[in-house]
This record gives sequence, C-alpha cells and structure tokens, in this order.
Amino acid sequence: MNRIAQLLTSSNVIVELDATSKKRVFEQVGLLFENALQIKHNQVFDSLFAREKLGSTGLGQGVAIPHGRIKGLRDAAAAFIRMKQPIPFDAPDGRPVSLIFVLLVPEKATDLHLQILSELAQMFSDKNLREGLLTGKDAMGIYQLISDWMPNAPDQH
Amino acid sequence: MKIIILGAGRVGTSVAESLVSEANDITMVDLDSDRLHLLQDHLDLRTVVGNASHPSVMIRAGAEDADMILAVTQSDETNLVACKLAATMFNTPTKIARIHSANFLAYPEIFSADNFCVDFVICPEKILTEYIEKLIEFPEALQVLDFANGKVSLVAVRAFHGGPLVGRELQELRQHVPNVDTRVAAIFRKDRPIIPEGDTVIEAEDEVFFIAPEKDIRAVMREMRRMDKPVERVMIAGGGNIGKRLAKALEKDHQVKIIEYDKRASERLAADLDHALVLHGDATDEDLLESENIAEMDMFCALTNDDENNIMSALLAKRMGARKVIALINRSAYVDLVQSGSIDIAISPAQVTIGSLLTHIRRGDVAAVHSLRRGAAEALELVVHGDARSSNVVGRKVADIKLPKGASIGAIVRGLPTTEGRDPGEDDGKKKARGASSNPDAQVLIAHHDTVIETGDHVILFVINKKLIHQVEELFQVGVGFL
Repeated sequence: MNRIAQLLTSSNVIVELDATSKKRVFEQVGLLFENALQIKHNQVFDSLFAREKLGSTGLGQGVAIPHGRIKGLRDAAAAFIRMKQPIPFDAPDGRPVSLIFVLLVPEKATDLHLQILSELAQMFSDKNLREGLLTGKDAMGIYQLISDWMPNAPDQH
Repeated sequence: MKIIILGAGRVGTSVAESLVSEANDITMVDLDSDRLHLLQDHLDLRTVVGNASHPSVMIRAGAEDADMILAVTQSDETNLVACKLAATMFNTPTKIARIHSANFLAYPEIFSADNFCVDFVICPEKILTEYIEKLIEFPEALQVLDFANGKVSLVAVRAFHGGPLVGRELQELRQHVPNVDTRVAAIFRKDRPIIPEGDTVIEAEDEVFFIAPEKDIRAVMREMRRMDKPVERVMIAGGGNIGKRLAKALEKDHQVKIIEYDKRASERLAADLDHALVLHGDATDEDLLESENIAEMDMFCALTNDDENNIMSALLAKRMGARKVIALINRSAYVDLVQSGSIDIAISPAQVTIGSLLTHIRRGDVAAVHSLRRGAAEALELVVHGDARSSNVVGRKVADIKLPKGASIGAIVRGLPTTEGRDPGEDDGKKKARGASSNPDAQVLIAHHDTVIETGDHVILFVINKKLIHQVEELFQVGVGFL
C-alpha cells in the first residue's frame, strides 16, 4: 500500500457526487470530515477556500487536489471524490474537473506532507489510473485502484 | 469564479464590465428589468429581476453555488440583509457590501460574523473623499494612490516645460535627485502608453506615472514641472455626502467655503461643520462666486450629484480665476470630454472606487488595486506567498520574473505583517493588520533589476493594459505544491 492510500479510507471515497460548483463540493467535504474526524465543517471549508484563493489546485486533465492546513488536526487525512458532472475549477488548462482528491494536514505541516502532495501530482499524471478512477464502479473499487498504484511505475504519461 | 452582483447601478455595472472579460461567471440582480436588458445587450452575463435581499431571488441568482456576493444596491439595508442571508442560508465564502451611511460605519461591530456577516465593507464616499484630499495635498498631481497603507505611492503628473527633467533622458533623474529612490512606471504621451527605458526622453505634456515613498513625491514632481504653492483656500460646491465629508476633513487646516443649494441641507451642514463657511446658493451663479472671491481660491471642487452642474460650475470657477478646479463626473463620456479641457481634474466616482472592490475579487492575495486611465490600466499590490519551489517569483530577481510586456514591478514593501484568515468589518478593503503605523519596520524597496523577491513581500505592479492582468495574477499565484 502506498502513502496516499494510508491516508484514505474507503468510506472517504465518494462516487458520482452530484454538485454543481467548487463551493458545494467543499461543503460536502466539510461534512464528510466533520463526521469522520470531528473537525468543524466550516474549518475545512474555510481552509480549502483560503488555499484556493492563493492559486488553483487544479492539476489539469480534469483533476484537482485541494488541500489545506487544519488547526488541531493530528494526522493528515484524505478524501476522494468523483463528480457526476465535471465542475469549473480554474485549472491551468481551463478544463472542468471531475476527479478531486482532498488532503488535510495539521497546522504544522512537514516535509512528509509536501512529499505526499508531490506524490499525488505524480499519481494523477498516470493516464491509466485516471481512466480507471473515471470508470470504477464503486467506492471500494476506486479505493483499491488508489492503493494498488505504485509510485514511479514505468507507464506514467 | 461565480460572482453575484446585487444592484445594477454605476458601481455594479462598472465592476461587471471589468470582470466579464476575465473568465468569470457573473449574475446581476436588480429590480429594474429594463436596465438589466440593456446590460445584457453588451455584456456576457446572466440577469435576475427581483429584490436583491429576497431569498428566492438569491436562489434564482445561483447563491448556492456562488463564490462571492457583491451587495452594491443603493440601499445600505438591502446590502446588509443580503450579506446576512448569503452567510446563513448559502454559506457564501466572500460577502462584500457597499455602505453609504456614516452611521453604520461608526459601529463596525455590526458587520462581524455574529451580526451582518459582511467580510468587506466598501464606502465610496470615504474613498472619494480621501482621493480628493490627496489631490489637495499634492495640487501638482493628477492622481496620488497609496499602497501598503501609505508606505509608498503611485503618482501621476503632467510634465511641463521648465521641469528640470523635461527634454532629458529618464536615467538622469538619479543624478538630479541623488537621495531619492523612485521609478517611473509608465508614460502616456498623447494618450498612448510608452514603456519607459533609461534613454526615454520626457516631453512636455507627457503624463508620467512614478512610484516613490510619500516623503519623496514632491522631489520627483519638481523634476517634471513648476511647483504650485500649497492649497489654503478651498471652495466646495455641493454639501452632499462627499462635499460634507471633504469639508470636515479639510476645515481644520484650510479655509473652506461650501455652497449648498438646498436651504435645509445647508442649515444642517452649518450645524455639523465647525470652521467651514456654509453658503446657501447655486454654485453656477456667477454673482455668488464673484462675491465669495472665487479668484482667490486655490482649489474649487464641484461635488454635487449632478454632472452638468459640476461641469458648468467648474468651468465657470476656472474662467473666473480659481487656480485649480476638480469636477465629479459620473458619465464616463463626459469625463473624456472635459478631462483635457479647462477642467483640471475630472473624477469618475466609479473608476475611483472600483479598485477597492477588485481588490477582493482578483485571484491571489491582493492587498490593493487602483484602476487607472479610465480602467484601461491598473496598478496592483500583490502579496507573495510560497518558496522558490512553489512560486514563480520568490527567490528570483526582478529582471528574471517573466512578466508580460506592459507589466512592470515598481516597488516592493518588505516586512509588513501577514494576515491570516478574514478580517471582518474592515473599512474600504484595507487590511488593518497591514497598517503601516503598526509596523514602522516595513521597508520600501524601489525595484531594480537585481532586487530579489522574498516570500511575504508586497509587490507593487503597474499594468499598462488591463488585458495583461490575468497573466500577472497567474504568475503570482502559488503552484499546486504550496501547502
């Protein structure tokens, strides 16, 4: 299992989320983490929005990795969302986004967290994985795809 | 970004005009369907007819998805209620309200997250008054705009024959004023921009924009033109919101006369002002101006809410010998008409105030925006975040930053405190925590090609053409890897 999968649980994978904007996605994510980790949903919402204001976390190719620091959070946590319809995300290639990986880290983020971020960018540059995530049937299957992914696999394009 | 603009008045319209071209999704709400139709004819936006503070109207406008609500209707109360509803019903991340009444502004706690939930308050009258005050402080300037809360200014001045630098190359400026660090950001010659180089020769009638710390403004202006004597006597036409504020601000240190047409308004004015002389009458009345010694006035400000009146009284005042005249003009066509004629400065309220709204709308961490040259150009103060890895500017020399041609870095202010999160109830968009007074250590660096940008710097940029702003914003945004 890779580092990314260690942060994710299958219950934090949402398939076919029906929301029409970045704002509503962040609201849903806030509620998800509130239930899972007892962090206030507004704290998550505000943190993700504040980070987005400094520069979009859209990677291009229909993927975004919104992230933020959360006061009082002990360990990094993650969620993965596949949208029912792609949503605008101010991504550098201008394309709307349908795969969203949310990463929350403690207030005092470390090098490890930066490595996780760059690993995420690497993971989503894998075309095969992206296609798998777009077509995967359920949360469990998608979770499996992410945990089976190997960093530095030869077929990343 | 999805933005809802409540109120299709002058401010709402000029914000919309300035934003539609920038890949934003804009919905405009107003009671007046004719006005919305007119807007839709030339702007690419959605419109909703209805009362801006009604929940159902807000839902129709897409409040559930909006990133930002701009409440700029004529009514303070509507704007306040709209922000409150946006917060409680729709969880809207950014809520901006225009507030006219000084009474609301005197109690900033009503804007807090426990009350009306206004993230940023814009008061056009206050912004305009401060703008005019600067012009009275520096009567030679066409425009004086503050950055980093007054640490550094951008000044527009017209060059005249007799200025020591006129007819000479820009690089000589340094020898002329050796102890002053300044940078000429742009020159407009016959309304066409020139990107200044060391060997650019300043000509008479050039409109020169330079950046300098406030204490050095006069030294630089003296290079471009003969200096006027300081303004002592000021006559104000119109005792409305702006005229009254200005009179109040000036009456301690200047001799102020203020003319108000409405009898009862002038009585109230007289009660509210301590030193200014209140005159009841018509500012376009020659005899009144004559008997009040218009020829002795250093500055005449026509600030009524009637464009034609302001133009006529300013023209008259100038003809009768007032040294300098300023007219407030709402219709942009009129501003263009009179600007280069005998009215010294024509002020478009929408252009002056739009920057404070754009500050919150622009992407990235933006501390100030000033719209210049009737919206064609812009000056921005951007806060730099990240490190050499996650930012395109941190750790780089000014010369190595890949700015589009027509955008230039004028100055850098280092050592201002960073703001975390929101600062509700702040006035006209200036972050209190960024106040210059609270941090005397902040340092102004005039940009040279080898100045290296650091994280936390406030970078002041001049953008000759509005079309380049999006590229500049993108350049200063942090990369995906910024945590």
